[in-house]
Amino acid sequence: MGYTAGLDIGSAYSKAVILEDGELVSYYVKPTGGKFALSADLVLEEALQKVGLSLAKLRYIGACGLGVTFISETFNKVTELSCHTRGVHYLMPTVRTVIEIGNQSARVMKTTPKGKVADSIISDKCATGSGRIMHIMAKVLRTDLEDFSRLSDKATKPAKFTTNCAVFLETEAISRVAEGTPKEDIIAGLNQTLAGKISAMVHRMKIEADCVMTGGVALNAGLVSIMEKELGHKIQVPDEPMITGAIGAALITAEKAEN
Amino acid sequence: MFVAGIDIGSTITKIVISNGMEVRAAMITPTGPEHRRLAFRVMDDALASCFLSFNEVEYIVATGYGRINVPFADQQVTEITCHMRGVHCLFPEVRTIIDIGGQDSKGIKIKDGKQVDFIMNDKCAAGTGRFFEVMTDVLGVKLEEIGPMSLKSEKPASISSLCTVFAEQEVYLRLSEGASVEDILAGLHKANASRIHSMIGKLRIEREVAMTGGGAKNIGLVKAMEDRIGFPIVVPPEPLITGALGAALIAREVAARLTPDQLREKKEKRRLEAVTFFDDPKPGKERLL
Repeated sequence: MGYTAGLDIGSAYSKAVILEDGELVSYYVKPTGGKFALSADLVLEEALQKVGLSLAKLRYIGACGLGVTFISETFNKVTELSCHTRGVHYLMPTVRTVIEIGNQSARVMKTTPKGKVADSIISDKCATGSGRIMHIMAKVLRTDLEDFSRLSDKATKPAKFTTNCAVFLETEAISRVAEGTPKEDIIAGLNQTLAGKISAMVHRMKIEADCVMTGGVALNAGLVSIMEKELGHKIQVPDEPMITGAIGAALITAEKAEN
Repeated sequence: MFVAGIDIGSTITKIVISNGMEVRAAMITPTGPEHRRLAFRVMDDALASCFLSFNEVEYIVATGYGRINVPFADQQVTEITCHMRGVHCLFPEVRTIIDIGGQDSKGIKIKDGKQVDFIMNDKCAAGTGRFFEVMTDVLGVKLEEIGPMSLKSEKPASISSLCTVFAEQEVYLRLSEGASVEDILAGLHKANASRIHSMIGKLRIEREVAMTGGGAKNIGLVKAMEDRIGFPIVVPPEPLITGALGAALIAREVAARLTPDQLREKKEKRRLEAVTFFDDPKPGKERLL
């Protein structure tokens, strides 16, 4: 099978993985920063460099994501949902429910024992169900996304937000800051709002067997623990939750080419 | 008999002072963070503009999202009722009102001068004034310019997102593709008209349709709504004050039912309340009335 690359060019982050005979050997993640073509080239190059490979050594490239059309190399396009379930199956074969929260969308997927999509719900109409709201809040609070995991547990009195709209949430957060509400209480309040919104979606799907959360938002440990309480179910998070799509793209492409 | 209606919106405060059916003063000013203080100030300004003293006003009705913060009001009435009354007085033939406020949008159905149904969105910034405020920042244009500018467009840009945050990103994308500001504005108005239409549509839109609130001052949004519903929309000469006008009409009605003694008693209570509310550390400065 040789070397296969997988790319997932998202609206916020670009991810690349390198597989050698179906085994993950290298990956690289970098903010897209609005430059799809440039960051697609860059993440692939960095992932190759980490294992001392050149582009010529790659047999196949599989790709998915919003910015997929900007990739300059020849590649095989794979649908995102299939990539995510397949990538999760590769890392955690027992998982049957995947909650994937990216920058612009939230998806809940059921997978078959072989890692194929059995069912899915997608929400991409509202910024509050996505990672976008975390970026907005990080700006208001002048903090970074790491604080969202770190500080959420330290809250003594989580702020109550009266709205689910990202625009109105921003206004409310600014008012809370002006009133002197501690940062950790605002973060915990936001995590609760976000968890409520995502949980409502997961409830419609019903969790089966092991459940995993992926996408950039899965790095927010504060949110994950609130979600676990809301859903009454353990939620696993891969060490690197952002690369499941890229792994799936590489695996599916290699398989398709070999058969 | 002088009466007043004051409408404290999330963004703009409006006041109408009338004598019988004649409007003596109408004022519009941005709502500050301190409604109570502001309510006093706009009341005083409005009174000054028609040379009246506070005690000459027989009855005051407050409405709008900040209506509970008007300590000198004799009565609070919901903005739905006040808008309905205001519009019905100006345009008796109107059956459907579309009110686009600073942070919400509403649809009101009227039959025989009575409100029969209403629908409201205050959960999501799309379809409210807030959406356009965000976009003017992105596009670097003034709020009052966006309507006329959008009408110059020949090929509206495609805006598919309903979410304000995502639409903002879509605007950046369209700009990077080389779309003109006019085309993007036209696309934004179209997208919002469809959002508002799908909400109001639940009420079954009946002619005549009136548009009020700050959104009605945006000619681009009014035209986009007309395109969407397929017939002309009536817009009051000053679409912001229909709520305050309705409140004043209600005040007139209520006051007419009260005896002079009851009115006097009301007024005495009103003054007292205002003083207790304004326990200012620096007395005299803000206590205008």
